[in-house]
Amino acid sequence: MTDIQRPRIAIDIGGTFTDFIVQDNQGALHSYKTLTTHDDYTVAITAGVDRLLDMAGIFASDIGQVLHATTLGSNTLLERTGAKTGLITTAGFRDVLEIRDLRMPRLYDQDWDKPKALVRRRWRRVCEGRILADGTEMTPLKEADVRTAIAMLKAEGIISLAVCLINSHANPAHEMRVAEIVREDWPEVHLSLSHDLLPEEGEYPRTSTCVINAYVQPVIKTYVARLTTMLVQRGITAPLFFMQSNGGLTPAEVAAEQPIHIIESGPAAGVVGASIIGAATGTDTAITLDIGGTTAKAALIRNGQPGMATEFQVGGHVLQTERLLSGGGFSLRVPAIDLAEVGAGGGSIITRDAAGVPMVGPRSAGSNPGPACYGNGGTELTVTDCNLILGYLNENSIAGGEMKLDRSLAEKACATYLSGPLGMTPEEAAHGIFTLSCVTMIQAIRAVTTERGQDPRDYAVFAFGGNGPLFAAGIAETLGCSKVIVPPAPGVFSAVGLLCAEIEIHKSRSFRRLLTEETVVEAKSTLVEMAIAAKADAKRDGGRVIVTARMRYAGQSSDLLVQLGDPATLTHAQMRDAFVAEHDAVFKFTAPTDEPIKITAIECAYAIPVGKLDPTRRHLAGTREESRQKAWFGPKTGWLDAPVVPRAGLTQMVGPCIITDPDATTLVPPGAIARMMPTGSVEIELGVATVGTVPHAEVADV
Amino acid sequence: MTNDIPAIADPIAFQLFRHSIIGVANEMALTIFRTAYSGVLKNIMDYSTAICDREGRLAAQGLSLPGHLCSIPVALKASLAAIDEPLAEGDILTLNDPYSGGMHLPDIFTFKPIFVDGQIVAFAAAVCHHTDVGGRVAGSNASDSTEIFQEGIRIPPLKLYRKGNVNKTLMAMLELNVRMPDRLRGDLRGQLAACRIAEQGVQALATSKGPTQFVKLIDDMLDYSEILTKAAIAKLPDGDVTFTDYIDDDGIDVGKPIPLVCSIRKKGDKMVVDWTGTSPQVKGAINNTYSYTAAASYTAVKTVLADGAPNNDGVFRAITVIAPEGTIANAVMPAACAARGLTGFRMADCAFGAMAKLAPGKVFACGDGGNTNVSIGGYDKDRKPFIFVDFVSAAWGARPWKDGLEGNTTMFANMASYSIEVVESENPIIITANEFINDSAGPGKYRGGTAMRRDYMLLEDEAILSVRADRQSHRPFGLDGGHDGAPGRNVMNPDRNARMLVSKFTMPIKKGDVFSHHLPSGGGYGNPLDRDPQAVAEDWLDDYVSTKTARDVYGVILTADGVVDLPATEKRRADLAA
Repeated sequence: MTDIQRPRIAIDIGGTFTDFIVQDNQGALHSYKTLTTHDDYTVAITAGVDRLLDMAGIFASDIGQVLHATTLGSNTLLERTGAKTGLITTAGFRDVLEIRDLRMPRLYDQDWDKPKALVRRRWRRVCEGRILADGTEMTPLKEADVRTAIAMLKAEGIISLAVCLINSHANPAHEMRVAEIVREDWPEVHLSLSHDLLPEEGEYPRTSTCVINAYVQPVIKTYVARLTTMLVQRGITAPLFFMQSNGGLTPAEVAAEQPIHIIESGPAAGVVGASIIGAATGTDTAITLDIGGTTAKAALIRNGQPGMATEFQVGGHVLQTERLLSGGGFSLRVPAIDLAEVGAGGGSIITRDAAGVPMVGPRSAGSNPGPACYGNGGTELTVTDCNLILGYLNENSIAGGEMKLDRSLAEKACATYLSGPLGMTPEEAAHGIFTLSCVTMIQAIRAVTTERGQDPRDYAVFAFGGNGPLFAAGIAETLGCSKVIVPPAPGVFSAVGLLCAEIEIHKSRSFRRLLTEETVVEAKSTLVEMAIAAKADAKRDGGRVIVTARMRYAGQSSDLLVQLGDPATLTHAQMRDAFVAEHDAVFKFTAPTDEPIKITAIECAYAIPVGKLDPTRRHLAGTREESRQKAWFGPKTGWLDAPVVPRAGLTQMVGPCIITDPDATTLVPPGAIARMMPTGSVEIELGVATVGTVPHAEVADV
Repeated sequence: MTNDIPAIADPIAFQLFRHSIIGVANEMALTIFRTAYSGVLKNIMDYSTAICDREGRLAAQGLSLPGHLCSIPVALKASLAAIDEPLAEGDILTLNDPYSGGMHLPDIFTFKPIFVDGQIVAFAAAVCHHTDVGGRVAGSNASDSTEIFQEGIRIPPLKLYRKGNVNKTLMAMLELNVRMPDRLRGDLRGQLAACRIAEQGVQALATSKGPTQFVKLIDDMLDYSEILTKAAIAKLPDGDVTFTDYIDDDGIDVGKPIPLVCSIRKKGDKMVVDWTGTSPQVKGAINNTYSYTAAASYTAVKTVLADGAPNNDGVFRAITVIAPEGTIANAVMPAACAARGLTGFRMADCAFGAMAKLAPGKVFACGDGGNTNVSIGGYDKDRKPFIFVDFVSAAWGARPWKDGLEGNTTMFANMASYSIEVVESENPIIITANEFINDSAGPGKYRGGTAMRRDYMLLEDEAILSVRADRQSHRPFGLDGGHDGAPGRNVMNPDRNARMLVSKFTMPIKKGDVFSHHLPSGGGYGNPLDRDPQAVAEDWLDDYVSTKTARDVYGVILTADGVVDLPATEKRRADLAA
């Protein structure tokens, strides 16, 4: 039996919960959720793995694969708990990490501070020696400077060292020589080289990416070692894979060397799950919507492929909803699923400004004290309180029935902070907040659709996370989308995504040429070589080769990621047409046909599927009986009687109704039709039935 | 809350609308960013986008330069007044002339009337700084021009498109008079794409709301900003203050300081920013238009108010800005104004100084004086022109509660810096240094931001170097006992026959010449002797402070390892205080 036919276990560490799913060798899924142990993630993992294997009746030694998504990388950056890191760079460029691109993500804010650089100035040392943009050497490397820097950093107790010299992407000779000297004088230091990690123009993104790798690497290495030991102690000797930010799995030992690829591990897993399950449901174009207690995240799936970004920002406390507001975090230039995030979720607190206008978030009541209705001492009004007032949540069936919600506390908070001051009924005010939450969360969707030239109406909304299924229909209606998909196990969906993902070996090369017949020939042969190398690294057959190029009109500053076909048959016309089509799709115009086009990089991925997943096979404990409750759908519709149906009990139903999972609630608005799909997903078709239909373009029915 | 402004009738419906309309303005800004050709736009992001109401009032601004804050409505209203033919669907208006509503010639405005059911419901507006609009110096931003006619082609309010058809006569005139017509065309394309995106977004919104309700919600946007602004003004102490600062000179009358005088009169929820007393307009090209002076004033006031009011006409209604005609704050024909950015930045600083007098402890000390501009242009061996235009600003003054920032853009213009490697791959220039200057920050209990230097080496045989800088003789001010920041410097060939240069000049340079530009540093806040000695030690370890400055300015005695010698420090501080 190969490892993919044996039981596979997925572990997803999130901010609040660590989720587990195991797929037994009959294909059945067993899930478990426990609180994340922030001091040492392996504590929760140990407990969870033991409990889950016990529940599922699987022997540890039978496990064929362990698939893992973790927030360790991003938390290390956010909480500044990485290694003591040094940087060697070119004389005259000591402060690249702080100068960045000089911009700030906030205007008119005297209190603004940049995130503190990962390497303190005292540990940023310089050496003479200069390579020019075309790769020629202007000044030879002064090796004495390198040795002085090493001696200083060694004496200071530096553990990890980044080296990034100016123009090393064009000619890495100096950087490689620095590496040789480091290995001679200081063999024990962790070493990250910029030309190795990111052979691309742009000293800030390259330095920053290299420094992030250096800063996080020792932490991830230690973690991988601990996790492996822990698994082996339980008799699990199966290979361990990590989810990368680009949605592919990578062997743990590769992740430990280049942890820059696993920084946004968790959110990526959910999007990958959505692309696979969505396609299985017959929906290969979708907006994914992952809403938790504090944030809403959106990504785009086109033709079954998640939208990709070439660069993102990490380690800042500013959410990257606005693409124009760079500078909130550190630049990390690795391929990643293009995710946008906005600070609004179930726990978001409602406040009003000096003009009495309400706002949702970004402050959140979190899980403690949580919303007022939790009865844990929270008194401020949250989004969840409003949902309870509207009858969208089942008071008795939250967290699989382990928790009861107190409606009177929600109403009290609403009267104090909102309905009282605005002179509205509680349900009017609460419905206003529901609508406003939708519009606030839509900012994340706009960032990945309209800002990328995509019309959201052409997409289905694929919703998961604890609060995604509740808002999905409202958001879809506001956007004018006609379909919502809620997958099975929406509350542990990132773990489901891990089971769906493929191993992906990614190769990229800087390729700065104008697009001509000759350069395409060169690109073609380089890509074929890269594909062979990727296959060799994968050590497995049965995969497929995915080829992309980063291109722009010569003179523009940002690249478009262009999908290309089989590298063996690539032609000039194909490359040109693919670029022009993408430019037209994103920007709604193309330049005259004689406008020169520039290629900046070519990329090749080799992807191997690792297993098949039947998500309908989830074991659900404590399935509840159907009940009914009143729900309010805006002043035109008012209160309606809504059946509350457990997912297992659904076949087809016209809204309003409420579908419950142990860890999420799906709201089906009046007039919509919910039906159970063969994949176990619930599909909601909007606005088909006529009962109290909500107008399409706007739900501003307040 | 004030009585004279109607309260927002339906706060929730309003908030929903506000999200949508600001989303449209932001999407415009993003479109320009992603499609523009020239470095000034794509890397430095010197442009702004907005939606204006049907009367031309600013309703929603995209994320962009505070410096462009009120330029768009001024230019749009001037265009509407000047163009006598009726507007039709598919029209695009344009202008750049400062004396017909513009700012300076490189900033070309485009406006698109947006129609619903045959009626104009709003205007889309975009203004971009173009790399070159002709004139005597490549880059069209020389600080030593003395009349507007030297600065490039002047476009009065005209139709660039009539009913969707391009005005070929105008385009031909433009293309013939600029050094890089391809870039101009490419950048204009981005501006037009942004206007088109706005048209779609506004039409969708106005159609779903109904045009009448749409207009009402736009009015709410203005009221909302006015309410928030007035509520925040009311919280500040009443007062009548005046702050004076000086620009070194105009680059023509070298050494003759130019006074900027900012008076703020504040009572209840009303505020007037008055520039009476400011220098008459000058010969050099640093004269402001009114809209730029107003933007500088609003930037300082808004930052201190921190009220979150969206930038629109409601803010302008709450704060009156007075700038007498014929002054450097409101120039008239034929004043040159290409390099007026300098004056705008300095006026923002001056207005911050006045706000600090009005509300002590709430305002930071002076930063590096805003973006300086270095332009290097010429022709290569094949007579192909190259133009490199750089803007840089990096140091903030100390905050009354913490240190100032270094390596961060100025408040008045959230402009990005180039990647050095990109500069080198696209221009015959090498940047030999781009880093902080050790021991340069303005000392204080909280210190100002450290200064930054950028050194440029020319690789072509010859070129023209044009520099617009300041703060060589009038340094960035400290507050409440904090010291002034370090002055700016311009040095030719610092490592061989170093030659000090004035703050504003245009001169030829030759292959291998290195021009070293030192920005000023930020001013400090509070007495340096009150600074936490450990903070001084940390700065010493990071080379931000020298042993001598630690000892003589901060009174902190450090061991060779950078450990604070407390008894020696106490004694030293007592001696310095005496």
